[in-house]
Amino acid sequence: MADVDVDQIADWLGRAKDVISEQRAYLTELDSAIGDADHGSNLSRGFTAVVDKLASSTPETISGVLKSSGMTLVSTVGGASGPLYGTMLLRMAGAAGDTATITPERLAAALRAGLDGVVARGKAELGDKTMVDALGPAVSAFEQSIADGKDASAAAEAGAAAAAAGRDATKPLIARKGRASYLGERSAGHLDPGAASVTLLLGALAAALSER
Amino acid sequence: MVALVVVSHSEPLADAAVELALQMVGDNPPPIEVAAGNDGGLGTDALAVAGAIQRADAASNGSGVLVLTDLGSAVLSSEMALELVDDLSSEVRLSRAPFVEGLVAAVVQASIGRSLEAVEAEAVASVGVKAAQLGSAPDAAEPRTDSDPAIRDGVSERECEIINPQGLHARPAAVFAKAAADLPVEVAVTNLDTGAGPAAADSMLELMSLGVRQGNRIRLSAEGPEGKAAIDTLAMLIADGLGESTGG
Repeated sequence: MADVDVDQIADWLGRAKDVISEQRAYLTELDSAIGDADHGSNLSRGFTAVVDKLASSTPETISGVLKSSGMTLVSTVGGASGPLYGTMLLRMAGAAGDTATITPERLAAALRAGLDGVVARGKAELGDKTMVDALGPAVSAFEQSIADGKDASAAAEAGAAAAAAGRDATKPLIARKGRASYLGERSAGHLDPGAASVTLLLGALAAALSER
Repeated sequence: MVALVVVSHSEPLADAAVELALQMVGDNPPPIEVAAGNDGGLGTDALAVAGAIQRADAASNGSGVLVLTDLGSAVLSSEMALELVDDLSSEVRLSRAPFVEGLVAAVVQASIGRSLEAVEAEAVASVGVKAAQLGSAPDAAEPRTDSDPAIRDGVSERECEIINPQGLHARPAAVFAKAAADLPVEVAVTNLDTGAGPAAADSMLELMSLGVRQGNRIRLSAEGPEGKAAIDTLAMLIADGLGESTGG
């Protein structure tokens, strides 16, 4: 089973920046319905800074890339997604290890650590209408695929599909965390912006791992 | 002195809240560090918060740091900042107090040299002041049910009239509480016109929750041999208008 290398992880973050920038208006539109209308611009600014930082000095290890990118998000995003996505990447860095390649199993463990970090930071549970509703199923699907003997690319595809399903399932939910929770029942009927952006992130991972 | 960190999405909001709070303390403000806004716009930056905590920690000389936040990512960024700082010389706590009222209460309490525990408790209790004024007192502002000091031995008492036009509002209450905190004994304050109290004289928030208006009479009481001198000191301050111009 092919390992995942540091260039693919950097490529993942580059693709994430591209798709988030493309979908910036869509994310902000989702956020204007139930939030403060800054999710697209905040994340686009953050991931652009991530890519700029990696271009100026690319770390040689996967944990180095993830740590540098997590810290950049923390200080450039501005909204709650800064600490949340920042924590996700920093926890992934901690679990990935100081090597230039990792096994698919280890990548699965890193994604699980990232999810645990997001849950610890935001204190959200499944069904609270947050990014956890997409990221949680995605990590489970990724792990299951690896356990079934699939490669990292197939696992990432399964993760992206599970994230999209999780995102779509946030529509009828009433928000219990974040800015949208101030709206109570009025938050129902809208997709959660964080679930939408983390689905883009999983899609970018699948794309980065599929091209070898 | 306990140092404060103010975390807000908006730099103008943070600066204005600090300005409002500093009105209360005159020439002896506590160290305050602001981490607000992100890249010139609305937002918070956990690294900036971590830097502010580090500076406040150094300025507090070991007394501790209380972090006051507005909402949402200000809380998340502050929690994250606590994981990013190291080599702190004092305890740092994130306050669940309301942003403006909590900051005002914390600045006053810190300026009179209270402990981190006391500063944090007064900041949290500040949420009850507005409720008490509007007639729905939550737990924090309920009058205490101590036994009436008048029936105990060795108690000094004195009645005074409040002459301030706005009554015992925040600013004179802060002056009064600050003076009371410097006294060697505990002084209790009761609003004789409404029966509210007794309140601790060194707690601005408890004083404000008495709802004392202009012309109301209050009773000061203190125990022990130093009690009389203590309440005489406070009575003189009250007669002087608690630092406010009361002319006319």
